[in-house]
Amino acid sequence: MDLQLLHIFRNTPLGRELLLQSTYFCSSLNILPVLYVPQYMKFLMYFENDVVQVDLDGSYLRAPATARDHALEVVRSQGLPDPKFLEPKNFTASTLPDLPVNFDFMTCPRSVSDLSSKIGLGYIGPRVRRIIHAARFPVLIGAAVYKPWQSIAVFFGGSANALKALRLGFRLSRLSGMPVDVFTQEGKRKKRYYEEVIEKENLGPEMDQYVRQWRIYDSGDFIENIYDVAHDALVVAGAYGHGLIKDVLFGSTLEKIQTHLPNQLLIVGPNYRAAMQG
Amino acid sequence: MTRFSDLKIWRYPSQWILFRLDDRLLLIIIGALVGTCSGLAAVAMYQGLIAMFAWMHHYQGYWWSFLLPGIGAALAAIFLEKILKEGAGHGVPEVVYSVSRYGGLMRLRSGFSRLISGCLTIGTGGSAGPEAPVVMSGAAIGSNIAQYFSLNDRQRVAIVGCGSAGALAAIFNAPIAGLVFTIEVIVGEWSAVNIVPIAIASVAGAEVCRLLQGNQIAFTSLAFQVDLVDTLACVGLAVFTAAASILLTRTLRYSNTVSHRLAHKISLPFWVRPLLGGCAVGLIGLCLPEVLGEGYHFIQDMVKGVFSQGLLIVFVLMLAKIAATSLTLGWGGSGGIFAPCLVIGSFTGLVYHRFIDLLGPGVGWVDEGCFALLGMAGLISGILQAPLTGIFLIVEVTGGYGVILPLIVVSAVSATLTHAFEPASFYLKELVEKGHYLRPRTDERVLADLTVRELVEKDCIVVYKNMKLGEFVKIVKKSHRNFFPVEDEHTGNFVGMIHLDDIREYLFDPLLYETVFLEQIMNTHVETVDLDDDLTDVLERMDSRNLFSLPVVANKRFIGMISKATLLDKYRSELMVQSYY
Repeated sequence: MDLQLLHIFRNTPLGRELLLQSTYFCSSLNILPVLYVPQYMKFLMYFENDVVQVDLDGSYLRAPATARDHALEVVRSQGLPDPKFLEPKNFTASTLPDLPVNFDFMTCPRSVSDLSSKIGLGYIGPRVRRIIHAARFPVLIGAAVYKPWQSIAVFFGGSANALKALRLGFRLSRLSGMPVDVFTQEGKRKKRYYEEVIEKENLGPEMDQYVRQWRIYDSGDFIENIYDVAHDALVVAGAYGHGLIKDVLFGSTLEKIQTHLPNQLLIVGPNYRAAMQG
Repeated sequence: MTRFSDLKIWRYPSQWILFRLDDRLLLIIIGALVGTCSGLAAVAMYQGLIAMFAWMHHYQGYWWSFLLPGIGAALAAIFLEKILKEGAGHGVPEVVYSVSRYGGLMRLRSGFSRLISGCLTIGTGGSAGPEAPVVMSGAAIGSNIAQYFSLNDRQRVAIVGCGSAGALAAIFNAPIAGLVFTIEVIVGEWSAVNIVPIAIASVAGAEVCRLLQGNQIAFTSLAFQVDLVDTLACVGLAVFTAAASILLTRTLRYSNTVSHRLAHKISLPFWVRPLLGGCAVGLIGLCLPEVLGEGYHFIQDMVKGVFSQGLLIVFVLMLAKIAATSLTLGWGGSGGIFAPCLVIGSFTGLVYHRFIDLLGPGVGWVDEGCFALLGMAGLISGILQAPLTGIFLIVEVTGGYGVILPLIVVSAVSATLTHAFEPASFYLKELVEKGHYLRPRTDERVLADLTVRELVEKDCIVVYKNMKLGEFVKIVKKSHRNFFPVEDEHTGNFVGMIHLDDIREYLFDPLLYETVFLEQIMNTHVETVDLDDDLTDVLERMDSRNLFSLPVVANKRFIGMISKATLLDKYRSELMVQSYY
């Protein structure tokens, strides 16, 4: 259990749902949850080439006296050993702690800075986007309510980031024993192109070993086709890589996925490099 | 027609042809760009302050004007805390912290936050200077440009230095002082790779200032005729300036501690602290207006030798300026220490000159303006413990080398004496105390760049506490290590270690093989390392207990071993990487 997942704990029912999703993820993949119970309204994360300031929604500081007990209760309910509670060692200013970034995964809600009433499908807050963009680890975006996932759905569009997502899907499958379903929407490129990418990357044996089905859609709207994704699947997808402006203004595959799929998402950013063992 | 895809290259600056150039040439080009931008930021702050002074001038003289510095400082705090959500601070320590710990990574908002908050504090009469805000702003501009170009840590630090140098060069019209301050205080490393781009940035910053505001000398002075006796008297002045530096440093710190304790004790809103400090400064300013604002006007009078107040009044002004600066900055106002140092230094020089003139009226000392200049250098050198910055700043802001010899004497002696009583400068004291001051190629810096995770050796054979000694002996035969972590087979928790040296007497007694369990012979009082531990601490623990390896345990689970040999190997590799540039 030397893989670690960072979770910023919010001591509210919504925070509990997110922690349940984190702990299920950890117990399925034998990962140690590292919980940060915020004591300040903001914190910094110094990544390799970016520093992200996260200004938390006020609910993160609610009921500090019971926060640890509530968190422990949730973690123990999943049969996990007691989590590690993160105590920041470094402070950029007296009320601005620096959180370490050497984790293997991190869980985020769709937004950490906005009121929960604003959070819904189709909205991922700017701070969460920055973390995904800068982090070397994939980010688990929780669903509104906890639902244990039973399979892994990987969206594969042939790009470098999609290949990273596919490899991550295989590794998750290896660790959890759950099957992988791969989804590809044909655009200008045809099925043969995607098969060649898989061959070129020597991913054939892993496709055979872990993939239950590879759905390649040559017709229909992408949004209609994603109805085929199982309701209890963990969705793995690559993000960005084409610049933030394009993602915000023109919409990418990920934007469509996060707008229409209520599942938990594991998003692989352009700087993802973490080597997962197992 | 240009296709949209052709524009993609703008999104990937690291692919530009610029990046195929020589590494040093690249830094020079980006340094010039950063120096220009930070120069513009400095000019913007300077013009903002002029506008603020002109606006606030109408409100001076009313009985309630003592509230103005308080209101300005409180607005600055609200702006930083609520609008930009940025933790307050003087600026320079934050830049040094970022350079030491995170390769110069800074937030974009720091590029303008202190400019605005500094204008609010200083423009309304707070006793602080614009230099630290512009240094922070320039450094943040440099950092964000370096991030845009995806530069590595070492390059980014040099570019952050460029931003700092360009800003300081512009605000004082002093390119050499900008360069020297950055190398002495911010970067802390005299290497050609850093010096060249920082020098270019300094020139760019100063040129921007000259282009937009004219080539002005900040404090024009007379041509002083300095004799040997004056130079010797400078040793005494250095003692005075060192004493003033120590007094200012300690008063600032005391003021900061008291204000925080008070705010904590009676649960004051965050903006009340700067409001109270500012109002107190305003009250002092009602009687002694010389303490308000940056105070450059009074420096000019003192340097020209036309400051007419007597010895006692000047001495009171010096103490009052120290109090006002402590009340402004120690109570949460936004601004820097540079300008107050110059004012206090010139008061100190004047006090000293009038004092020795009283003792030896017939000696024929050099004009008191010269001692005001030397006092400024002494205070800057003492507070920053950066003597070269003090020397070159005064040379440049007065436009001549006429007093260079006594300048060197005062700066060197003042910095040395202050260092004897305050081992870390005002900027660095807190960083040093918290272990955040990590200079390149020092043990702490090299080890800070490594983590326990990188050094964990996982080729250990784990044994279980209920294993019989006989089974263990079979495992020992296959292993090349002489220590074995022991786990509880039911919980998976780490419970102890077996070191072959400790159990040698059992190993060679076959009668014990079936009767002794590892639980009975393992060492349960084992020093362990966590994945998040600092390697400096780990190495200290190994040295103090004479250990060569320690088990790494996370959440009661054994992760691997960390050995001194591997640590020193990695240390050497990291040191080579840091020394390569």
